[in-house]
Amino acid sequence: MKAIPTILPSLLLFAGAFATSGTVHATPTPTAGDKLVIEAGRVITLAGEDIMDGVIVIEDGRIVAVGPASEIEKPWDAPTIGGPELVAFPGFIEAHSSRGMDRANENVDVAPYLNIRDSIDPVAFYFEDCLRYGITTVNVQQGPSCVIGAQGMIVRPTGMTVEAMLVRPEYGLKMSVIPKRGKSRATQMQVLRKAFSDLRSYLETLVKKERDQRGLAAREALFQGRELEGEDNEGRAMKSGAWTVDGLDIIPRGAIDEKQAPLLAVVEGRTTVFLHCGAAVDVGHALELARTNGFLTKSVLVIRPECWRAADLIAEAGVPVILEGGLMHTRRDPVTGEEQETFVPLVLADAGIRFALSSQDPTRRSLWYQAALAVGRGLERSAAIQAVTRTPAEILGLGKEVGSLETGKLGNVVLFSGDPLSVTSWVERVIIEGEEVYDRRADLRNKQLLEGRQPAGTQGSVNSSEEDATEESKEDSDEDESEAEEN
Amino acid sequence: MGRPLALGALLLTALVCVPAAGASTPRVASSSPGTTLVAVRAGTIYCVEENRVLEGGAVILIEDGKIIALGEGLAIPPHAELVDYGPDAVIVPGLVAPFSSYAIGRSSRYSASPGTLAVDNFDPYEDFVGGLSGGVTSAYITPSESRLISGVGALVKLAGKNAAERIVNPRAALHVSVDALARNAPGFWDPPLPATAETEMGYSKPQLPATAMGAIVALTELVDGVRAKKPMDPVLAAEYGSNALLDLTPIIEAGTPWRISAVSANEIRAVLRFAARKKLPLILEKGLEAGELAKEIAAAGVPVIFRVPFQPGGAFADRGKGRDANWGRLDVPALLAAEGVRVAIASRHPIDLLFSAGLATRGGLDKADALRAITLTSAELSGAADRVGSLAVGKDADLCVLGDAPFSGFSNVLATWVDGRVAWKAHATLATVIEVEELHVGDGSVLRPGALLIEDGEIVEVGERVSRPRGARIVRGAACMPGIIDAFGHLGLAGSKTVPATDFDLSSIVVPGDRLARRVARHGITTVVLTPRAASTGGAPIMAYKPAADEFESQIVRRLTALRLNWGDKDPLKAGKSVKALLAKAAGYDKKWREYEKAIAGWTPPPLKPTEVESEEEEDKGDAEEEDADKEETKKKSKKSKKKKKKEEEVLEPDPLTGRWVSAIASEDGEELSEGFKMRLRFALGEGSGEVLGNLRCARASGLLVDLQGYWDRDEKTLKLTGLGDRGWLALELALDEDQLTGTLLGIGLELEIAAKRTTKDYVVAERAERRSEEVEKVKAPKGKPKMPRLDPKLEPLRAALKGELAIVVEVNREDAILECVETFESYGIQPVLLGARDVHLVALDIVDRVAGILIKGGVRRALPKRGTDYLTPYGDLQNIGIPVAFHSEAEEGASDLSLVASFAVANGMSPTGALRALTGDAARMMSIEDHVGRLARGLDADVILLDGPPLAPGTSIERIWVDGKEIR
Repeated sequence: MKAIPTILPSLLLFAGAFATSGTVHATPTPTAGDKLVIEAGRVITLAGEDIMDGVIVIEDGRIVAVGPASEIEKPWDAPTIGGPELVAFPGFIEAHSSRGMDRANENVDVAPYLNIRDSIDPVAFYFEDCLRYGITTVNVQQGPSCVIGAQGMIVRPTGMTVEAMLVRPEYGLKMSVIPKRGKSRATQMQVLRKAFSDLRSYLETLVKKERDQRGLAAREALFQGRELEGEDNEGRAMKSGAWTVDGLDIIPRGAIDEKQAPLLAVVEGRTTVFLHCGAAVDVGHALELARTNGFLTKSVLVIRPECWRAADLIAEAGVPVILEGGLMHTRRDPVTGEEQETFVPLVLADAGIRFALSSQDPTRRSLWYQAALAVGRGLERSAAIQAVTRTPAEILGLGKEVGSLETGKLGNVVLFSGDPLSVTSWVERVIIEGEEVYDRRADLRNKQLLEGRQPAGTQGSVNSSEEDATEESKEDSDEDESEAEEN
Repeated sequence: MGRPLALGALLLTALVCVPAAGASTPRVASSSPGTTLVAVRAGTIYCVEENRVLEGGAVILIEDGKIIALGEGLAIPPHAELVDYGPDAVIVPGLVAPFSSYAIGRSSRYSASPGTLAVDNFDPYEDFVGGLSGGVTSAYITPSESRLISGVGALVKLAGKNAAERIVNPRAALHVSVDALARNAPGFWDPPLPATAETEMGYSKPQLPATAMGAIVALTELVDGVRAKKPMDPVLAAEYGSNALLDLTPIIEAGTPWRISAVSANEIRAVLRFAARKKLPLILEKGLEAGELAKEIAAAGVPVIFRVPFQPGGAFADRGKGRDANWGRLDVPALLAAEGVRVAIASRHPIDLLFSAGLATRGGLDKADALRAITLTSAELSGAADRVGSLAVGKDADLCVLGDAPFSGFSNVLATWVDGRVAWKAHATLATVIEVEELHVGDGSVLRPGALLIEDGEIVEVGERVSRPRGARIVRGAACMPGIIDAFGHLGLAGSKTVPATDFDLSSIVVPGDRLARRVARHGITTVVLTPRAASTGGAPIMAYKPAADEFESQIVRRLTALRLNWGDKDPLKAGKSVKALLAKAAGYDKKWREYEKAIAGWTPPPLKPTEVESEEEEDKGDAEEEDADKEETKKKSKKSKKKKKKEEEVLEPDPLTGRWVSAIASEDGEELSEGFKMRLRFALGEGSGEVLGNLRCARASGLLVDLQGYWDRDEKTLKLTGLGDRGWLALELALDEDQLTGTLLGIGLELEIAAKRTTKDYVVAERAERRSEEVEKVKAPKGKPKMPRLDPKLEPLRAALKGELAIVVEVNREDAILECVETFESYGIQPVLLGARDVHLVALDIVDRVAGILIKGGVRRALPKRGTDYLTPYGDLQNIGIPVAFHSEAEEGASDLSLVASFAVANGMSPTGALRALTGDAARMMSIEDHVGRLARGLDADVILLDGPPLAPGTSIERIWVDGKEIR
């Protein structure tokens, strides 16, 4: 509480500086030194028991101590935030999202050479909302309207540039089994299979040519303006659990066409693949593709609720899933006409499938609500919370970095005004890597929503985000309305 | 008034259970949980394998979704679950649709796309209900139809628990097409990525084929390309996509059949030549003009999947007006089969497969071959005959259960089994179809053959052939006739000799489900016209009811259907006097009512205090003018409150009646009855006219709601109401004393004192009396309201008879009395039914067309006094001159002999159809119940007797009886 007087003015100052863009956007807040002490009436660590009246000490962006206030020595020179009325919680982790980009999908069927980096819009409302909902890590991947999509990346929803947001650049590759517009499942699968057979014949041809004319690959690469240095100039035998091309070690890795290289990384098991499945039938196809091309262990299925009917296949394959597009599946029995409702997280939990919940859902934006809904439907509270914290962290390979409040992990802390899964709780503050990036008292948009006042200097703000219509938040439309009234 | 309603409910539940035991619904004999052993039984089983047909209740034993045994007289293991479809049901193998569009999605861009797999488009988590409802259990799927090489087709199950096992053959055939449908492959264009100076942007290139010859060239190129075993020629790659040869190679190496769709004769010839040259395993598909090439096709040894060129349920399609246009023939399979070609028959949609195969039997295709064409042959051509297509040990338990032999022309799939489970079954229907060699309608006409459709206890259709709803029970027999009517019987009186008054409710003495009554009913007597044993001078009521009924609702045919009178001609001096007096009294009563009705229709009461209303309105206006603009709101308020006040005045003051009233009932003895006998009344007073609408409900029989209608006398504060309840007429005469209505309730044999108190005033009436036109107002001076005559429940039936709504049965015997009686009734416009009529033969010609019918005692054969062996046969004689007669028992359970009496009448010269009419239709008409029973006609109660021979023949006996569509014997 002591720190507030110092932080608040600076925040307000900052907000004023960016007032023309109408955001209170997540921006690194200057803190004294690299230390921060967070006090909370209750600390939910997700690693052992909750700590009552606890303290979290963050140094250089990482947690150095978590424990009861009585046991932890607070550095004398660190600013302290929080208070006994707040609940500290590790940030939620969005395991898969196609928002925060200028557009979610590209037109070309097979485009693994695309990179999300070039599409992410740091000032998108989505990231701002993430903070409001306590999401501290986001895996941004291309949308499902593709065959083989772009390389994704993991970001934190704060920062004015993509570089400032980075957690993991070039993380994961998107593939979709859902038929792209203009395709049937058969032709979609045909293109997917062809992409890999094309890769294979490309590599075989490359090796054959190289054998005929030594150094051809390097020369061609050079001709195309790619200089091969270091690792790129070395050849490496192909390692894959499915199929290999003999003699690939003679090809400098950098000489491999940039259109094919990402897929080679997939076959060699170096890239996590997010396989988008729209229906139960897609699950079988996705797993077949992963098996025949050796990336089953690096596969994550992004499933819609109706995929639950293939739960046995998912469990057998042992791949984790990310559930998006709702939690409930409703189906009318074609013979009897009866409506059957299935609460999918329960099915997944019963089948022993590792799953994360996603807020990628036209009607909801927050992970806490998905988790609360799951608890309401009978999922164990710990399992529901795990599905929005630890499991997504593990799926994203960040198991040692985020997902709980433990010594050594990143200093991502969300301070709630009450229980994280309660509808009456607010996200009061968000700390990412030891930097406070959100304070509700300074959240102008939130104020505007609650108090109905247009904050000074924000009039005529432009909507810088071109999110899909379905992703327009309620707040946005409210704002538009109030603007219209003012005008 | 209180009836044991619980009994009715019990019986109702019993009835609901009855259909479950019906012949065509499965009967589960025994089941023990945890077992997967199922036995399915049906009258006939077509195995298709070796053309085996099992008859006489054959059984299929299924374990874990496979057939483990089948045969006639197979012992069913005790722990097996038995599903019995009854002796009429027929089981054929689950149909294998040789074509379906279930996996057709967006076609590939390339005209040759052997890498497109139909299984990828198949959703194994979906049940394809359409096909299942048509008896189809497996279907060939293809990813497309509109490409030269559309892809690889597969054979899949349309239902099933295990997604993987539903794919029977993932590579059933390479789906190729040279017909016009495949010549529309759009040009395609692969944009180079990235486009550089070296790689041009390119443009959309048209693809082969546009003609049949183009198609053959393209196919030849591709096959040669694969056989050359060289990397793909860049020209070919540009033409067919870079993977065409790569994908085609394993297909050719595996010897997968090429299923080439060709329609016209030239296409078929071209395809035959191509396959022969390239030595490819060929299956011809569509083959619309294959008939004329039957010999060539047979010589090539190529099987044909004939697509029936008619799409049931689709829009009418014009086939082309040119001279060369081929309009498609249905006899192609017959022509091909005659030459020894293996034929499968396909329909556009699997749901129509059975029907389409039936069409394809034209031209002489054997029905067994047609069945084979949609089961085993189809399975063989899709490379799946090891699992599906016939019923044999070891094969999948895919069954199609039909209600009738296949190709009988009716949509009769009862259930479809996939892998030993019911995947689809017809909605349970209670419809029954009776098919007989001769159907006696009951009005003298006979249908040979005849059929009858019964639904919901009613006859829905009668004809030589009737529609057959899915899942309907089919019953066959030699003959059927309407249920017999005892035109004048005592069944139900239980010996009673009481002579009740005409307002007595006879329905209170018959009990549904009475054992004796049902026993009589099982002799075919489905309706009894119940009459008391005698009649007083005021007449006696006659009721028609069904002795077989086991619930109140269906028991009574007509509560008061006729009146019994006695001419009293034993004493010539008194003959007819009482009847004449009664008729005169009734006529007077009727006249009074008619006059009253006429008068009340033309009477309009003076309007209600019109001056007062007007002045108030004026006041309002004045007020408004006076008020300031500032006080607008208060003005509005005051206006509102005034209006409200006005409304209250209008409704409350002149309307002391509208609302709900509750009354306790005191019995005739003055004894207070229990709380349950509270009577609830609701009234609504019409605006101004004094007309009152309302209803009465007694708590103990809450289902009994009687609509009341009557008039309120404002001056005398009296209320007279009448209403027709289930049990007869009710009349209420009430007087308002302060806020209590007191008076009497008359009718249904009761006379009750009523004292009702108003509980609410808020009875909103849907219909209010209409205002009379002003013209009438002028004619009728508002002198005063016409007075309502007193209602006499005892005379009400006679009034109805005078209107022609009831029949009159009058007992008269002497010839002069008969004539006098007929004349008397004629003067009142009534045609009576003569009962007894001993001397009717003497005056028969005089009374033709003047009587409704005659019920003669001993009318079958009567010895003439002193004439030796010369007999009178009045029934036959009267019928011959056009006077309707009816058989009647004048007995209780003796009614069961009615059909024997009728047989005896036939033996004595009465015409058999005439005797049947006298038992059924004529009896019904005479007793004015012909719109309920008596004939087999649309809309009438389904009272049907099924016989094993011509009706009324001495050797014919009853096989089955339905009453209201429910089988009682």
